[in-house]
Amino acid sequence: MVNPSLLIAVPLAFAFSIPLFGLVSKKIGKYIPVVALLINVGISFILIPQILKKPAVVSIGGWSPPFCINLVVGPLGVFLVTLISSIGLLVAIYAISYIKEEPTEKYHMLFLLLITGATGIVLTGDIFNLFVFFEILCISSYALVAYNKDKEGTEAAMKYLIQGSVGSSFVLIGIALLYGMFGTLNMADIASRVTSADPTFLFISLAFLITGFGIEAAVFPLNAWLPDAHSSAPSSISAILSGIAIKTGVYGVARMIYTIFNADGILTFIAFLGLLTLLIGEMSAFRQNDIKRLLAYSSIGQIGLIVFALGIATSLGVFAGLFQIVSHALAKALLFLAAGYMIYRVGSKSIDSLSGLGRKMPLTSFAFTIGSFSLIGLPPFAGFISKFSIVYAAIQVKKPIFLVFVVIALIATVIEAGYFFKVVQNLYFKEGKNVDNVTETSGYIIVPMIILVISIIVIGIHPQFITGLLKGAAGELLGRTGYIGWVLGGS
Amino acid sequence: MQLITILIVAFLGAGIVYLIGKISGKARDILAVLASLIVVILVSLAYNQKIYTSFYPLPFLNLSLTLRIDPLSWFFAIAVAGIGFLSILFSLEYMKHYQKLDFYYSMMLFVNAGMLGVVLSADFLSLYIFWEIMSWSTYLLISYKGGKAVGAGLKYIVMSTVGSIAMLFAIVSLYTSYGTLEFSSLASLLQTASSGYILFLLIMFIIGFGIKNAIWPLHTWLPDAHAEAVSPFSAVLSGILVRIGIYGFVLVMYSIVGLNLLHKLGYGLLNFNYILCWIGAISIIIGTFIALLQDDDKRLLAWHAIGQGGYMILGISFGTTLGIAGGIFHTLNHCIYIALLFLVTGAVEYRTGGVRDLNQLGGLIKKMPVTFIGGLIGISGLIGIPLTNGFVSKWLIYKTLIMEKHPFLAFVALIGTWGTILSVYKFLHNIFLGQLPEKYKDVKEVPWAMRLPMIILTSVIILFGILPGIPLNVISGIERSFGIKPLSTIIFGMPREIGELNIINILAAIVVAGVFIYLIFSLSTRSRRVNQYDNYAAGSFIPKDKYQYSVRFYDPVYRIIGPYLRDVVDDFYYWLVEKSKSFFQGVRQIYTGNVNTYALYILLFLAFLIITKIGWGLW
Amino acid sequence: MSGIYNWMYYIASGGLILIGLYIVLVKTNLIKIVIGLNFIDTGINILLICIGYVRGRTAPIFSRPGISPANVVDPVPQALVLTAIVIGVAVLALALSIVIKVYQHNKTLNVTKIKGLKW
Repeated sequence: MVNPSLLIAVPLAFAFSIPLFGLVSKKIGKYIPVVALLINVGISFILIPQILKKPAVVSIGGWSPPFCINLVVGPLGVFLVTLISSIGLLVAIYAISYIKEEPTEKYHMLFLLLITGATGIVLTGDIFNLFVFFEILCISSYALVAYNKDKEGTEAAMKYLIQGSVGSSFVLIGIALLYGMFGTLNMADIASRVTSADPTFLFISLAFLITGFGIEAAVFPLNAWLPDAHSSAPSSISAILSGIAIKTGVYGVARMIYTIFNADGILTFIAFLGLLTLLIGEMSAFRQNDIKRLLAYSSIGQIGLIVFALGIATSLGVFAGLFQIVSHALAKALLFLAAGYMIYRVGSKSIDSLSGLGRKMPLTSFAFTIGSFSLIGLPPFAGFISKFSIVYAAIQVKKPIFLVFVVIALIATVIEAGYFFKVVQNLYFKEGKNVDNVTETSGYIIVPMIILVISIIVIGIHPQFITGLLKGAAGELLGRTGYIGWVLGGS
Repeated sequence: MQLITILIVAFLGAGIVYLIGKISGKARDILAVLASLIVVILVSLAYNQKIYTSFYPLPFLNLSLTLRIDPLSWFFAIAVAGIGFLSILFSLEYMKHYQKLDFYYSMMLFVNAGMLGVVLSADFLSLYIFWEIMSWSTYLLISYKGGKAVGAGLKYIVMSTVGSIAMLFAIVSLYTSYGTLEFSSLASLLQTASSGYILFLLIMFIIGFGIKNAIWPLHTWLPDAHAEAVSPFSAVLSGILVRIGIYGFVLVMYSIVGLNLLHKLGYGLLNFNYILCWIGAISIIIGTFIALLQDDDKRLLAWHAIGQGGYMILGISFGTTLGIAGGIFHTLNHCIYIALLFLVTGAVEYRTGGVRDLNQLGGLIKKMPVTFIGGLIGISGLIGIPLTNGFVSKWLIYKTLIMEKHPFLAFVALIGTWGTILSVYKFLHNIFLGQLPEKYKDVKEVPWAMRLPMIILTSVIILFGILPGIPLNVISGIERSFGIKPLSTIIFGMPREIGELNIINILAAIVVAGVFIYLIFSLSTRSRRVNQYDNYAAGSFIPKDKYQYSVRFYDPVYRIIGPYLRDVVDDFYYWLVEKSKSFFQGVRQIYTGNVNTYALYILLFLAFLIITKIGWGLW
Repeated sequence: MSGIYNWMYYIASGGLILIGLYIVLVKTNLIKIVIGLNFIDTGINILLICIGYVRGRTAPIFSRPGISPANVVDPVPQALVLTAIVIGVAVLALALSIVIKVYQHNKTLNVTKIKGLKW
């Protein structure tokens, strides 16, 4: 069996090797993320069948849990790692020729660090280690948002940094309170002893953790950084932030609520929060003229849908939420990549300036169309399956409040359809003004988009490719005793 | 297997046509026609078969996608395939001057494939999937022309999404309640459901299907979409795509819920059927009379599509043998004549350079005789003149209304027909009759690829008008499959015991009357043949190129009824959209741009969580 | 009196965190906000330390003579604090460098005036 710690070690090692390679040749740097993530994708695909049979617990330093930092690779972890490394790989390929602003090797290094952080978050079994990886993710994303060093980017990064730091501080306070109560940092150990603590103190630490991770997860009202950061970052970074980074925040919230605290009481509130996020996101997106800001707000909406689905807390609901994570990651990464290159070619972020690109950049526009159709939830694309499952799960719990929620969520879908269809029409059916010299993308840019389009369609037509994994992952989130069992003992 | 083949051919055809189009335009055209022809053949081969296949399992939802063919689905499938084929044939010439033809043809085939999927589905999930595929491909085709079409397409897809989510809600709720989505199992399982639940389902499905079918007050997307789409697609859109909604109504009301349950819904005047038929009646009046006011020929037809939809609803809402037969038959008839009429407007556009304004056309009868005949027969069918197909179905609907003792509704339907006559006469007159504007002197008849579909549709109208037994036979098969007493038919109509309609008698009467009139005319003083420009103008000189006497046809009528016939529903929707836009504008002000405020949000959120826990003991 | 003495460190850390939050919420100068973030960080570090602190015991450095597990404080929080300090420094450095860039672009450090991105 491959050692899962390689998943973290490989991108970390490669990240810091980039400046070294930079001494040899400036050009090597941009291929290194691709190599590193290719290895990671390989490892995670090898791990999937093994992990589905038996989850792995890797202890570092030879101690056994709970006395050491350990990695817990369950179905959920391996699912998210696969998603992170696949999306990361595609974005890395895109970045080979997309990133031109010097110093490119710093970009690639930070990018790999971001991936390391995300991978670490989903794999670790130690709550402080979670915080450390969370900070790696956050710091590298602050830096990457400001990477272009332009007015917007720095402003967005500054705002992101302030809110993000407050968030990480809250996470740390939550962890401190947990340590004060239980004297351990191992998540499974805390989880197994959580009933022994004073519920009020317990809740206060949960509140800090939810708020802290909620900021990264972009739950309303903690998401004000997101539209700025996503719209001002380089498009490849927007794709990664939207496709992966905010999902790790959601993972954090879900892990805290489901596994560690077993806080059933708050789940309906979480679903409501998701719904609110969905509504606010879609409403704000509706009035945007800036394509990247539109996509950013749409990310808020989609995150809301994911959180809503996770808040349903039935196995189908969690399954649907995880499915939505996949379909959103694919579609939104695709949209940001496509939009990024359109913006690069046209030189403006306004939606009107994208008019008529359907003829000039047929493949990119096609990719954008597929991505937006999938986000709206049209068959036969991946988004349909996830939205259908979410609606099904929400109605299946047979609580009147969830019926109301579903109706509101569906109305939000109409708003979403309204603005996405408008953009698609803009691409194809409006006369362009200054697009005569625009040419189609080529080479490294188009490959990831094609792969994403194909995977959206394939998953939409044959969802069984991932349902097994997702069912396992949903089982891990809901079955906390199983999780505690893997880590602490029995075997 | 056969059904899967049909769908595979339909969908693959669309894809291949697009790819071939990149290589050769000619090959693409031929392939598009061939693909649609093969679909027609495959569907007709499935006549009178009963097939049920499960073609794709979705184990994580415990569902599998299924297809079936039964009389109802065959009936609609053949209409879809036929209209699709004819309009693609028509497109060959019509679309020559357009760009992005690869996209156009492949989307035409794709829409057709989607519609076939809808009518062949045997469970609600497949129906929903194909329904959505049909919706988004329709949206792409409506917007195809650019310009104003973009707004029309957006309006269509937003309304359509509203319909879809209503339908999705009903479907998912069905699935959670009964654990299956197959029509046949649901039909038996639903018999034990409470009438409140049935009503909820029906309302949801009526919103879903009704938006496609453009019943009042869900009709507002239709005039824009029909007018702005390219004409061959308008034919498909108005002819069959909109009527997939009727398919849905019939399917849900009679195939699944069933008559027994329907009759239990509501008391007295608040009966479900009764409300539905009033919606139909309102659609008739609104549709036909707003049509009267239109100056754009395609918009005029579009409003008729709404009005005629009302007749269909009126027919099927009663649930009697005659009514359902009338409703379904009218759907087919409407599909034929409205497709023909849209092709006629297409032909006129093709020769006049895209003119749709009725105030600028006229006198094309001599120049485009085949098109004129098409238009004449088409409007005769639309009005329901004997010997055309529309007559039989309208007769069935009227008969139903009278037999069910709804004289007032029958009167409404009759008024609708008057409106229809007036407005389609305007259509025919302003395009073909009267004085020929100077600029159209050199107009020629359209080429054969465009004539052929029109001729086929014209002959079908006459054929079904004289021998209504052919389609009615299929329709009585449909009724048998619903478990309703089937309509008994003879080839010329219906036998005496259920209502007596025999076209032979009418034919005889018309022939006699025709001979009589001919004799009178030929015996009386001969009329003088005059030049088309030789118009009576009270003795004053008329500049030939300036004067157009059909401008503002029915002007006095406009002035009388115009003020009452604003489309208030449309205004209301626009108002709603404007209000929500400004509301959204307000909502996004919460992202103030000031990082202090953002930090405050974070702190407030935390405080909220903790206070609700400690203070109120929530969670 | 001894009650306050027991809780002194907690009060101090809480106070630091609250001061930091106050600065982040109210102050409009970016540099001050960054300092506020650092206040929060410091407060949390003190919180962590005093969670592990046991009165009368000494630092867990086993190379010193006469130290046994019975008379040292909990070492884990100290390790945590070391990590947290490193992270805090990294964030601080990054924050200041971004602030410099923001100042170059906007010619102001007043956050109420840096509102290029909103809605």
